[in-house]
Amino acid sequence: MNARQTPAAPPVLIEVDDDIEAINRLYRERRWGDGLPVIPPTRERVERMLSGTQRAPDEVIARIAPGFGAATVHLIAVNAVLAGCEAQHLPVLIAATAAIAEQPLNLQGIQATTNPATALLIINGPIAATLELNSGLNCLGQGNWGNAVLGRALHLIMQNIGRALPGEMDRATQGQPGKFTFCCAENEAASPWPPLHVDKGFRPDQSTVTVVGASGTLNMLCHEKDANDLLRVMADSIAYPTSNDYWCGGAPWVMLGPEHAEIFAQAGMDKEHVRLQLWEQSKMKASRRSIKDYARTRDARAAELGDIGPDTLLPVSPTPADLGILVAGGPGTHSVYIPTFGNTRSVTRLIEP
Amino acid sequence: MKRQRPSLSIATTAFQVLARTQAAALGQPGLPVAIIPHPLGPRSRAELRDMVAEHLPALVALVSEDKAIKP
Repeated sequence: MNARQTPAAPPVLIEVDDDIEAINRLYRERRWGDGLPVIPPTRERVERMLSGTQRAPDEVIARIAPGFGAATVHLIAVNAVLAGCEAQHLPVLIAATAAIAEQPLNLQGIQATTNPATALLIINGPIAATLELNSGLNCLGQGNWGNAVLGRALHLIMQNIGRALPGEMDRATQGQPGKFTFCCAENEAASPWPPLHVDKGFRPDQSTVTVVGASGTLNMLCHEKDANDLLRVMADSIAYPTSNDYWCGGAPWVMLGPEHAEIFAQAGMDKEHVRLQLWEQSKMKASRRSIKDYARTRDARAAELGDIGPDTLLPVSPTPADLGILVAGGPGTHSVYIPTFGNTRSVTRLIEP
Repeated sequence: MKRQRPSLSIATTAFQVLARTQAAALGQPGLPVAIIPHPLGPRSRAELRDMVAEHLPALVALVSEDKAIKP
């Protein structure tokens, strides 16, 4: 029997002085937090959190790599309290925890790599409004409770249950700010196209969480009103020679600002056209990579692309469908490119009570 | 899962903690882990061949010791 099969450890209750600063010192000493102050997960707070789901506290939702700790509903609730969540957030975290453990995301790789990759959460459907999540101005920034605590709680789950402690099993060379929190909703109201969860086969009235193995964000400023020229410069921004995605054929995302999405829609382009054009136009000559990374790419993508020469045009992902597109943000001529770990695929899960 | 074959992992010094912690997390605290110098990236193929030649006897010895996971 190995750790993936062993029963989940029962919850442990510890007694400490009723002093918020002493409790936070304890959390720092034991490395149970993310460096920011935490809300003490008292028995009463955890019980209130558990009222947010119909699931049994001892149900194992997933095993979290790289330590393969058992993410019980109870432990998810404990981390949710630590992060500042309330009961209504718990179903999102249960779905997100199940999603990160699905094989296509490759959580083992994401948690233990030197790359800054981490989990970006994208929320779709009516729950985004219920939880008052931010899908508009500064949706990836500070200032919204739901965005902040949901992303933070998932990262605490990844660290505490998955045992991905920085400098130990988390080997990130620099990491990224998104490893504190990284969550937004899609701006479905401002999008000219169906939302991403409908693209994935869910109904518009269902709520979902999508997890992405994101390496960071690259802002794309463009004042162009011509849709084809806008496509050209966005595609050029995707194609950078140190990208993980070009190495092994990844699954990056483009988060279109509503103004840029509207320019495409006004030109008669649907999402699939934009996706295909970005994929085609972002193909990059293999020789743009360093000599060593060119050699690594030749090995990594031989099965997909055959013999790769210096002039071979590498697509950022094996197929256009692997390039994700969503609409989020507020007014302004900005969109965001979200490169990934490369060897990862996003996962979308239904959020259930 | 035990597959009835001697096993070991090879990690560079930078990944030593990861290798040992993960082996324990997966229920194999006794997994032999050979630690070789970090980094590998800047080394030439010739240097890597030299490293293999230098460390191979130790790797063979490691899977031959009692602590190796064997049938």
